[in-house]
Amino acid sequence: MNFSLKVIGKIIDALGNLCSLLMILMILNVFYDVIMRYFFNDVSIGMQELEWHLFAAMFMFGIAYTLKEDAHVRVDILYDAMSKRKQAFINIFGALVFALPITLLIGYYSIDYTMDAYTMGEGSGDPGGLPHRWIVRSVIPLSSVFLMLAIIHVVLSQIQVLTTASAKEGAQ
Amino acid sequence: ADGKVYRWKLAETWGPNFPVFGDATKNMAKMVEEMSDGRLIIRVDSSNKHKSPLGVFDFVKTGQYQMGHSGSYYWKGKNFNTLFFTTVPFGMTAPEQYAWFYHGGGMELMKKVYDQYGILSFPGGNTGNQMGGWFKKEINSVDDLKGLKMRIPGFAGEVLAKLGAKPTNIPSGELYTALERNTIDALEWVGPSLDLRMGFHKIAPYYYTGWHEPAAELQFMVNEKAYNKLPKDLQKILTVAMKTAAYDMYTQSYHESAQNLATLEQDYPNVKMRSFPEPVMKALKATNKALLKEFAAKDPMTAEILKSLSEYQAKARAWTNLSDRAYLDTSDKN
Amino acid sequence: MTGIVLFAIALVCLFLGYSVAFTFAGVSLIVGALTLGVDLFEFMPYRIMSIMENTILMAVPMFIFMGIVLQKTGLAERLLESAAKLFGGMPGGVAVSTIIVGALLAASTGVVGASVVAMGVISLPVMLKNNYHQPTATGVICASGTLGQIIPPSIILIILGDVMGVPVGDLFRAAIIPGMLLIVAYTGYILILGQIKPEFCPPITVTESKRELLVQALKDIVPPLVLILTVLGSIFSGIATPTESSAIGAVGAVVLSIFYGSFSVSKMHEVSKDTVKVTSMVFAVLIGATAFSMVFSYSGSEYLIEEFFMELPGEKWTFIILSMLAILILGFFIDFIEIAFLVVPILLPVAIALDINLVWFAILISMNLQTSFLTPPFGFSLFYLKGVAPKSLKTTTIYKGVIPFILMQIAVLLLVVLFPEQLIFT
Ligand code: NA
Ligand code: NA
Repeated sequence: MNFSLKVIGKIIDALGNLCSLLMILMILNVFYDVIMRYFFNDVSIGMQELEWHLFAAMFMFGIAYTLKEDAHVRVDILYDAMSKRKQAFINIFGALVFALPITLLIGYYSIDYTMDAYTMGEGSGDPGGLPHRWIVRSVIPLSSVFLMLAIIHVVLSQIQVLTTASAKEGAQ
Repeated sequence: ADGKVYRWKLAETWGPNFPVFGDATKNMAKMVEEMSDGRLIIRVDSSNKHKSPLGVFDFVKTGQYQMGHSGSYYWKGKNFNTLFFTTVPFGMTAPEQYAWFYHGGGMELMKKVYDQYGILSFPGGNTGNQMGGWFKKEINSVDDLKGLKMRIPGFAGEVLAKLGAKPTNIPSGELYTALERNTIDALEWVGPSLDLRMGFHKIAPYYYTGWHEPAAELQFMVNEKAYNKLPKDLQKILTVAMKTAAYDMYTQSYHESAQNLATLEQDYPNVKMRSFPEPVMKALKATNKALLKEFAAKDPMTAEILKSLSEYQAKARAWTNLSDRAYLDTSDKN
Repeated sequence: MTGIVLFAIALVCLFLGYSVAFTFAGVSLIVGALTLGVDLFEFMPYRIMSIMENTILMAVPMFIFMGIVLQKTGLAERLLESAAKLFGGMPGGVAVSTIIVGALLAASTGVVGASVVAMGVISLPVMLKNNYHQPTATGVICASGTLGQIIPPSIILIILGDVMGVPVGDLFRAAIIPGMLLIVAYTGYILILGQIKPEFCPPITVTESKRELLVQALKDIVPPLVLILTVLGSIFSGIATPTESSAIGAVGAVVLSIFYGSFSVSKMHEVSKDTVKVTSMVFAVLIGATAFSMVFSYSGSEYLIEEFFMELPGEKWTFIILSMLAILILGFFIDFIEIAFLVVPILLPVAIALDINLVWFAILISMNLQTSFLTPPFGFSLFYLKGVAPKSLKTTTIYKGVIPFILMQIAVLLLVVLFPEQLIFT
């Protein structure tokens, strides 16, 4: 279990780095577009569309990374006062009952959604816009896969919290 | 006919209470319910509900919604040939185009394009001739188009781009601000019927007449499988209601435009109505023609549609010239 | 009914302490699948796509990035400290400068999430370091950060203009005085608080001489102010849309950090990772809320509300008071986009029938929605701030802190209700 936890953790950390890169690229992309328009009176709809392609991938993939880093916001009035054990139970419960089903479902439905754009050869309808809409659509099923990995990571690490906690209790 | 009640849903591209366009769907649903004595009930979901204004095509294709109301040219990115069932730059006027749809082979061509998606498409209401847009500066020559940053989506944008203009994507919520602060130099929306509520007349002094959307026809879409499950009489009721609602929208657009134009002229005398000078129109027309020719060479279906459109336009225009144009020219002089 | 049951279950489950985003989404899935069928969720990819393509929302991560750069490089702290010092050893100085900086950000963003996060990242550490009363510190930030809702450019005014068919320019103009009133009210409150309870917002010890202070101020305040003015200026001069100006702000902040010698690649990596986390947290909530609002709306729950309003006695004032109360209460539970798109269209025909001035009504709604950003338990400002606050800061502290500001907002709202001629149509 330790090994798989480590591997998944590594994958998601790499994903976090990818998101950071996408973030920087998005800022530079938008900045470049403003400069080109204002100083060189040049507008490219393709570049304008690339902005939100980067944006979408950044935050969609980032949801998994954020889950692994435990940075999703909670209503922590009761949670903060709980023991580590209880918190671990809640995290496992939440992961399996709340997070997992919706992730699986979105992942499932988004496959057809993506394939549809692929088979139709859908692209932008605007002059100079980007072709291959399926690429940005595939961000949704991909992010579901990453999120599933993150959920597995949370469940495994919280099980570890539970077992080490009971091992400690046993030792006492 | 059996007494079974069919409950359908329609997804529209427009937001809730969107004037004119939104009235067409409500009107259609009401007619269907009344004519069928409550046997076919259509619930209209605006974009606030389904949250995906341009998802309407996919909704109807997959059957998540039995019906949709949108504009065929929005699907240009999926299939270029859908473009021609809304309007074409320098194309036909609304009466001419309706004649083409119903008597000149338009419906048959539209069916040919939409068949592969399991979608039935019908005319969904016409805006009439759309205005060329709101401009901050006067356009006196083709050179004035060079570097002109304009929000003008779709095919017309491609025509302008060929002449050196810079089509620019701006979210509709930001349009007013973008125009006010010269982020863009011009934009096109619809016409007086819908432009006034956006407030553009307060920030852009020039209102140009149209060239790019002489008769924008909206579209009702019906999922073919769902349609085939309806009893014959309900199918007929539905098609009649769609046709009537489309016509009603056309007259309503005409009325709203007339009404709002009067308001505009009375309350904002500073807005200057302009038409593009002849050389500009010539250049736009030539570019449009060359572009269409390019696309026709790529796809036989495009070629077939364009041939039908241009042949019918020539025929219909001869009559328009002899009837409406001659009448307007002669009667207004006296 | 389904919608109301969904509300109740989601509310209870939130208090378990599991992530807000997944609780929203998960409970909506369970309730939605049981009542409306699982097929409903076939719409989720479309809704997510709409969020992915929303270039207005794109400003959120870039303003967050700008805020975190200003923080991690110490520039914001110096700006606010210098700003506070310039207000002298006066009690409440940091809070007042927070309000002013908040107002400046408001005038440059229009994206509430971004300003709250930027303010939270910038001025919360400064106030905590100076032993501020924690609720007051968080309240000032949430409230000042929410000013972006009403001070133009404002996303909500643009959305309302669209939904209500009112020219957006008219709404922008009408919002100026109410926005200023809020700034005056907040500032006045802090100044008075500084007199009555000086320990809540202790003054900063200023040891430097007037001359030193001025030199320091020039060094610290002017460049970041130039940055903020660049953001503001790039919008007002038309160089950029709000989203683009957020990129200018982000790049500008990095340039400033180079200028101040506090730039490093590893720092930027850290900033970027933090930005990804905060952004993803915010957008996960948005996706969760969208699942929630989908079940709420498709179960027909908004028709119940419509019926209620249609059966009201037909007086203008009854309608205004009740609709404002309804929006205020709904604002406790759902966010402004849902209200603007679900509730306003229900109210609109009634408002038109009663011959209510729509510009005035739109301003009332937007001020009311601004309050909803602050109202627990589902105030988005509160979530945003919580997302960037130190882990030790309790949600309840934030809840407590926003109460006086909610009351002030209601007071200003009442003024606008009572004196439309003087405050809006000037
Ligand atoms: Na603002
Ligand atoms: Na709230």
